[in-house]
Amino acid sequence: MIAFIARRLALAVPTLLGLLVITFVLIRTVPADPATALAGDNATPAQIAAIRHEFGLDRPLYAQFGRYLGQIAELDFGISAFSGRPVALDIAQRLPATLELTMVSLLLAIAIGVPLGVIGAVHHNRWPDFVLRTASVGGIAIATFWLAIMLQLLFAMELGWLPLRGRLGLGAVAPPGPTGFLLIDCLLAGQFGVFLDALRHLVLPAATLSFGGIATIARFTRAGVLETLQKDFVLYERAAGFGRWRLIWIYVLRNSVVATVTQIGLLFGGLVAGAVVVESIFDWPGIGDYTVQAILTADYKVILAVTLVVGVIYIAVNLLTDLVHALIDPRLRSG
Amino acid sequence: MEITRREAGALTLGALLTLAVRARAAEPDVLVSGDNLPQNLDPHQIFDVPMQGYAVNTYDTLYRYEGNPPELQPWLAAGHTPAPDGMSWEFALRPGSLFHDGSPITAEDVVYSFRRVLALGKAPAGAFLPVLKPDGVTATGPLTVRFQLAHPYAPFLAAMPLVSIVNPRVLRQHEKDNDWGAAWLASNEAGSGAYVLKPETYMPLQHVDLARFDRHFMGWKDNPRPLDGVAYRPTKETSTRLLALLQGSLDWTDSYLPVDDVTQVAASKIAHVQKDEDMRTFLIRMNNSKPPFDNINARKGFAHAFDYHGFITDILKGYAVRDPTPMPNTLWGFPKDVAGYEYDPAKAKMYFERARQEGAPLHRPIQIHIQEALDQTTQAAQLYQSTLAPLGITLKIVNDTWANLTTNTAHPETTPDMWVHWVSTYFVDPENWAGQMYDSQFGGTWKASSWYKNPKVDELLRQARATVGQEARAPLYEAAIRLIVADSPDIWIYNTVDLRGVNNRVAGFRFCPVGSGTEVRWIHLAA
Repeated sequence: MIAFIARRLALAVPTLLGLLVITFVLIRTVPADPATALAGDNATPAQIAAIRHEFGLDRPLYAQFGRYLGQIAELDFGISAFSGRPVALDIAQRLPATLELTMVSLLLAIAIGVPLGVIGAVHHNRWPDFVLRTASVGGIAIATFWLAIMLQLLFAMELGWLPLRGRLGLGAVAPPGPTGFLLIDCLLAGQFGVFLDALRHLVLPAATLSFGGIATIARFTRAGVLETLQKDFVLYERAAGFGRWRLIWIYVLRNSVVATVTQIGLLFGGLVAGAVVVESIFDWPGIGDYTVQAILTADYKVILAVTLVVGVIYIAVNLLTDLVHALIDPRLRSG
Repeated sequence: MEITRREAGALTLGALLTLAVRARAAEPDVLVSGDNLPQNLDPHQIFDVPMQGYAVNTYDTLYRYEGNPPELQPWLAAGHTPAPDGMSWEFALRPGSLFHDGSPITAEDVVYSFRRVLALGKAPAGAFLPVLKPDGVTATGPLTVRFQLAHPYAPFLAAMPLVSIVNPRVLRQHEKDNDWGAAWLASNEAGSGAYVLKPETYMPLQHVDLARFDRHFMGWKDNPRPLDGVAYRPTKETSTRLLALLQGSLDWTDSYLPVDDVTQVAASKIAHVQKDEDMRTFLIRMNNSKPPFDNINARKGFAHAFDYHGFITDILKGYAVRDPTPMPNTLWGFPKDVAGYEYDPAKAKMYFERARQEGAPLHRPIQIHIQEALDQTTQAAQLYQSTLAPLGITLKIVNDTWANLTTNTAHPETTPDMWVHWVSTYFVDPENWAGQMYDSQFGGTWKASSWYKNPKVDELLRQARATVGQEARAPLYEAAIRLIVADSPDIWIYNTVDLRGVNNRVAGFRFCPVGSGTEVRWIHLAA
């Protein structure tokens, strides 16, 4: 197992390097020049050239990339051409918001999707199964931005139950760290009022983001459980008098979720990507919107840094997925 | 008392539901603004419309624009004296003005501010670099500043509001590697304006909170209940912005309320639409260096082929003012007798035929680049496509971004055939429009991206730039604009009407095209 983890970590380095190279080349092939935007609307060509020189944008591409790699080795992502702040600071401020939203959405998707899938499989070809299959197709097909607006209209505007946007209400002050995850930090600081405020603000964005995931997890769980229910050991255990729900929720489910766990790993990546839309609609101060602004303004240090960070997260999630597989299925542990 | 998990869950849900109330601003005298924020907070690094909206509240300038049409008012300066030849300008500061740290504003602070702008060489410096050297700014007394220009520059006074006066005592404490405190000021503030930044809550493009500065030099007698603070909470998504306004959690939107939303806001009980004619022109550029746009008959054909009235009336629902010239029609120097071009397919056809006979390649597809994030550029391009098609012109719409376009327009060969944009009010002088758009010396900048060249126009514009006095300059600009319109280098469509959704509790709103009415010192909130 340790050798397995070590191998996977070793493979991460060339993966991330390749990712950086591809992203760097792609960024530099578009004509957008951050120096022009930085120089401002009344700038002269001489001003623009001076700024280009200041930021090293007039150096050969390989020199720019080499210099950037040297900075990365020292964990220095550089200064954002536009915010004027260290990119690391901007990411540190925003990434926890995206991760908190994504993780809560994922947990929600698992907590709802898995039971729904089991129910659908157990009631195979009866009305709960039909409802589930129809709803899951709809859940995958529904556009995230449409769902977000509908939830806003219903729960924030009509009913007034939940906030329309943002991560905290006006006037609420987030506790200072240590994790950047508001829910955790509030509990650690004992600020239960702010905790509830943060939780209320999280409900609609998380519900929106998790909707497609619920459908996906439900379908895969249903398929896995259905297949497992046909196996001989299930028949044996039923004959042996095992309680129905204990049999399903402990023995059948454990043997059914390998594919579902894989999907959850892939889903995490999809949720991080999908968070861009949700963050935009709900004014969630995460990394998605920050990245979009960086792309529009050709702030290439931000684009590269975000690519690297998200790449690391993907690799970590994939590794975790494989570990969970090994945990569920002992036959995989020797690999 | 033991509580089961089920009971705990029910209690939590109940708490959530009982806390559900219709959202309002948490504090009664804090205005929640949906305006966009600048990329960073240093007014010497960034100068665009969002920065104008922020800096007008946190910084002061020697002169400031107020009212609509905007009038230049002495602000930190009590007055100025230009030399007859326009080569030097002397400004007398108002005594008793304070920075936010309580230190008095002196002539040396003004000198430092201008030298900082020149040294950083970014956005606001563009108007000054060609005419002002760092040692040309000097303090001739504790409260008098002298500017010695390299050559006469009549828009100099009009450009004064571009430079915010910053506190050197604060900035010098935070300088790093001779950066003039740029890294620090990007997330902080060193001003004297009516409101002070709370840096601890700042998040770029997301949150800015301001608190009132009681000792502002203007005093507060003109506003019985000034705002205690301003909370900038820009909202990216149009639908969310509208809902927030209608819900009451936002006191005003930005000034680009979509025309489709105007009826809804106007019909609501909680908000109204603030409509003000701006000085922001909307136009379609033509690359005059590239065939067929190097042919005047082709350009006139294109000018007659756009349905101006239909665009303004049907698509914009009348919320724009037809403006057939490059300049806002509310500005001096605008020739009232110029009719411009109107939608006339017959004339367009006639001019296209002449152009074809002269060899203009009107058979090739023409690309028009739009700014994907801005709906009106798409709408204008699509309308244009539909009116050009019957005339045998194929218009291809290309999605693009501002960053790409401003880079590509640096060279004639990479400038698109056509592209769509606005020209905002950076300073209130014909130089901001006609001067910087059609003097060929500005080729390579996005404003001059039509690559138009007319030596007579160059001569008039340069003479106007060097002549002191509006009465002498106005006829020069009028003559230049008549020539420019006759040459038809671009397609000028409208002057903007700002549409801003405003909560009915907001009172005292004063619109000025510079800043789009975001100066909040006049605002109070009705109880």
